[in-house]
Amino acid sequence: MNNNRGIMSDVEWRSLGGRFTVTLFLIILLLISLSFLFPFFFAFTAGLKTSSEIVKPGLRLLPEIAHWENYTEAWRRYNMVRMFLNTFIVAIGGVTGRLFISAMAAYSISRLKPFGKSVIMSLILLTLTIPGIAYLIPLYIVITDLPFLHVNLVNTYLGLWLPYAGSAFVILVLKNSFDQIPQDYYDAAAVDGASSIRMFFTFTLPLSAPILLVLGLLAFVGMWGDFLLPYLVLRNSEVQTVSVRLFALVRDFPLNLQMAGAFIALLPPLVAVLFLQRYMRGGLTF
Amino acid sequence: MVTTQSPSTSLAKLVKAPRWTTVWDQVTAYLFLLPALLIFAVFSWYPIAQTVIYSFQTVSLARPPVWIGLQNYGRMFGDPLFYVAWRNVFDFIILSLIFGFIAPILLSLMINEMRRLGHIFQVITYLPTLVPIAVALLVWRLIYAPEGGALNSLLQLVGLPQQLWLQDRHLVKLAMIVIMTWLGAGGSVLIYLSALKEINPQIYEAAEIDGFTFWQRVRYITLPLLQSRLLIMLVLQVIFVGQVFTEPFILTSGGPANSTLTPVLNIYRTAFERSDFGLASTWSVSLMVVLLSFSILYVWLNRQREEFDEQ
Repeated sequence: MNNNRGIMSDVEWRSLGGRFTVTLFLIILLLISLSFLFPFFFAFTAGLKTSSEIVKPGLRLLPEIAHWENYTEAWRRYNMVRMFLNTFIVAIGGVTGRLFISAMAAYSISRLKPFGKSVIMSLILLTLTIPGIAYLIPLYIVITDLPFLHVNLVNTYLGLWLPYAGSAFVILVLKNSFDQIPQDYYDAAAVDGASSIRMFFTFTLPLSAPILLVLGLLAFVGMWGDFLLPYLVLRNSEVQTVSVRLFALVRDFPLNLQMAGAFIALLPPLVAVLFLQRYMRGGLTF
Repeated sequence: MVTTQSPSTSLAKLVKAPRWTTVWDQVTAYLFLLPALLIFAVFSWYPIAQTVIYSFQTVSLARPPVWIGLQNYGRMFGDPLFYVAWRNVFDFIILSLIFGFIAPILLSLMINEMRRLGHIFQVITYLPTLVPIAVALLVWRLIYAPEGGALNSLLQLVGLPQQLWLQDRHLVKLAMIVIMTWLGAGGSVLIYLSALKEINPQIYEAAEIDGFTFWQRVRYITLPLLQSRLLIMLVLQVIFVGQVFTEPFILTSGGPANSTLTPVLNIYRTAFERSDFGLASTWSVSLMVVLLSFSILYVWLNRQREEFDEQ
């Protein structure tokens, strides 16, 4: 059985009609790929132009003279080191919190048989059906005045880390992953007198490392580019993330610097895809 | 099972662990659950309940809330913008089903025939799904710019009339759907491609022997086999487009003439520009009702698909 075949068989693929169809598809795909890549290319070259050259009518893809200094100027004037650092702190803290808290919960539901397990699971899954945007207002009020503690989390990273930490999707995926670890492991560990905490750290988490990595990367990319919640929570320019800061600064900068800054901000996700593509080949279905 | 149950349960009672161990096990189980329960309680369950409560109140950050019955609902249903915003979302959904839904299906069918080369196209279409949307929109705004914009310059080059993409209310929704498709198609392509790989090639081989052409195989084998997954992606897309906010917020502020005003954008404005948290919550409830009903449809369809796959 040849799993590599498409809807066409290998014989058809090499036949005249097959080659015609495949070439046609290839041309269409090349055109579509070009248009998918165009915004990246456009931001890159617009970042190299002078501000008057950008608004000149007529299609000029390449700049007359490449002004590389736009990139260093955007980097410096936007204070992009600060911006990237803030975004990185938000994303790495959010991912760590989400993975750890979700893994603990998933482990408990999967292995420790808490009373009312199904009720808890249904309540967690309920949040999958109601997107966060639908309860944004009370969420924001909670962030400005945390219940019982009465702490205002506006302009703090905790104000993002905490709401990011709860993810029904991650708990669900991890629970399914933990369910597949053979019960023998736990029985053997119990005979050796290992505690639940020990079983969690010594083999439950390590055995799920690949799925944790994928979930972590996806969450990282999502938090890196998130807009509305960081826009509401991070009001102070010193703590703002890339998305929020670039949007807030739009009016203060000429177009060429905007595009140079935007292109720099688009680069990190492109690096992330290099890590993700290994899993894409295997078929990432969630 | 039934016959062996009585001796084994009595045996279980005999060897049952002392009570304090069970209590300790439960304490451990709940300690592991505690952080997640706290997070969900404070940042999901409480705000969900509070949204419904606020919708019957006058809420401001400075004063305690006051109950006002159905007044907010009266104001919401009496506001022509309510119907404008939902009509806009409806238009967005229809347009996204015509363009955004079909595009990934065609893309994945073509990529699937590319054999080894397909992986490159898969990665390229996936790139935009990873970029920060607010940053990407700054670039798109310049592509759509009336003068000197890349798209209008291209139209000029091939002799077509230039358009005010984001300022013409007949074009602006389509212009945004193009961006949303660019941003979202890669994720769907990923899912469709893995679904295409799951189809047993022997089915195609048998169809070939029966003289089915390539297009007939697509029409009578591939699409019917993908049907349940297509339906699920369709419902997911409706849920996703129902929440559209960032594109109109950054590109048009809901204009021109409210033609891109969406419920979420209006919730944002009512709450954070006019500080009317009660009315904004009432709008949120309307959004919750719509999205929740589609989510229930999604869960139901997913269960149908799993049953279908098991057969």
